[in-house]
Amino acid sequence: MEYDAVVVGGGPAGSVTARFAAESGVKVIILERRTEIGVPVLCGEGISQRVDKWNMLEGTRWIASKMDGAKIFSPDGTMVSLSKEMAGNETGYVVYRDIFDQELARRAARSGADIMLNTEVTGLIKTNGKITGIKARRFDEQFEINANIIVGADGVESKIGKWAGINTVLKPYDLETCAQYTLTNIDYNSNYCEFYIGKKLAPGGYIWIFPKGENTFNVGIGVLASLSDSSLPLKLLNKFISNHNELKNGKSIRLLAGAVPVAKPVETVRDNLLLVGDAARHADSITGGGLTTSLQGGKIAGETIGKAVESHRFDKETLSIYETKWKAVFGTKLIRDYIVKEIMLDFDDKTLNMLADSLKDYKFEEFSTLSLVKALVLKHPTLLMRLKPLLKLTDKSLKKA
Amino acid sequence: MVKPKIKINIKICLACGGCISICPQDALSMISSKAYLEDEKCINCGICIKTCPIGAIKEDKK
Repeated sequence: MEYDAVVVGGGPAGSVTARFAAESGVKVIILERRTEIGVPVLCGEGISQRVDKWNMLEGTRWIASKMDGAKIFSPDGTMVSLSKEMAGNETGYVVYRDIFDQELARRAARSGADIMLNTEVTGLIKTNGKITGIKARRFDEQFEINANIIVGADGVESKIGKWAGINTVLKPYDLETCAQYTLTNIDYNSNYCEFYIGKKLAPGGYIWIFPKGENTFNVGIGVLASLSDSSLPLKLLNKFISNHNELKNGKSIRLLAGAVPVAKPVETVRDNLLLVGDAARHADSITGGGLTTSLQGGKIAGETIGKAVESHRFDKETLSIYETKWKAVFGTKLIRDYIVKEIMLDFDDKTLNMLADSLKDYKFEEFSTLSLVKALVLKHPTLLMRLKPLLKLTDKSLKKA
Repeated sequence: MVKPKIKINIKICLACGGCISICPQDALSMISSKAYLEDEKCINCGICIKTCPIGAIKEDKK
């Protein structure tokens, strides 16, 4: 088989890459190891409402519920509420990831991309050191596909980058290990995402409660792998649910395990090769969210592939347009949030409680470094020392903006 | 060759891919949507055991 481009992985980043490549006239195929796009779901299913502006998804079938804001709970239970008016377009949707992923794949197919399911890519084909295709296995058949461009959209467990000589191995310090239940029959509804932080509750991560409507909630946990132990996320999640009055009588209709890179992005371009989405470590280090960057990065990757095929140049230099553009769109934020992650990991529960107490009445719509500092100094002057690195960062990013 | 001490219970594995992403030896892969360990590459560091969110990877005590 011959294609211009092979996209390994049919998640959001892969499907969007294939769609925009196909729309630029590229002959492209998506290879997906699973037997159904989007299943099993491996995600908390939250996405920013900024997605509305991007014309990536049609209709509303993929939306489970629309959020009005977020509530963050510190270890002692102090709540900081971010309402829609305060958080602006940063509020989110809770989505059905299976439908969401299939919708993106459908758009890729409609644009002309081929899709092959149940297909495991087992290696790259190299001719005189140059990547010229992939080896794959489907049912009991082994086969090869020749292509000028290979896209690694193969998620957190990505092999494509490694095979091309890019070091994508994550340090345990850079991985959140996750478990999530979907609980139903809960006598309670909400339009707020809830986040619970604390060293005992979820070391180096958080617990989330995302409402899906119809008395159904995603309740999940992420624990930093360097602070975790065998089955610890599941144990801590079970404990949280049994101690939580609204949740403890819920019935589980889904259990999933997950892994989220909270790392700095890697090198994403080589001759004849691109990495997108979680494979490129394009998830946010504070929230673990990776859907928006997968959609934005996928579009840039697809358009870059279009230009490469048009000019018949597949070298690193040509494909680097992709890296330059994603860095401009979200690269700075990924790096900044990685630094914030490192600073926040040093906070003990006492600091988090003081921080929440200072912020619980803070008006985020008037956000400025100065007003934030005032809010902190008034209540807990000792916080200032701990927050110095964070405030420095805010100053820098404010000056840039 | 050191006898590998790590064992994956594929009946428990939910294919999250976490262990594959952190293995410093690239000894783990996803085969038929389950984590698979290549014994000859494994150095028994145990990082994957600690990383598994649901306890599908254990020390093989046999």
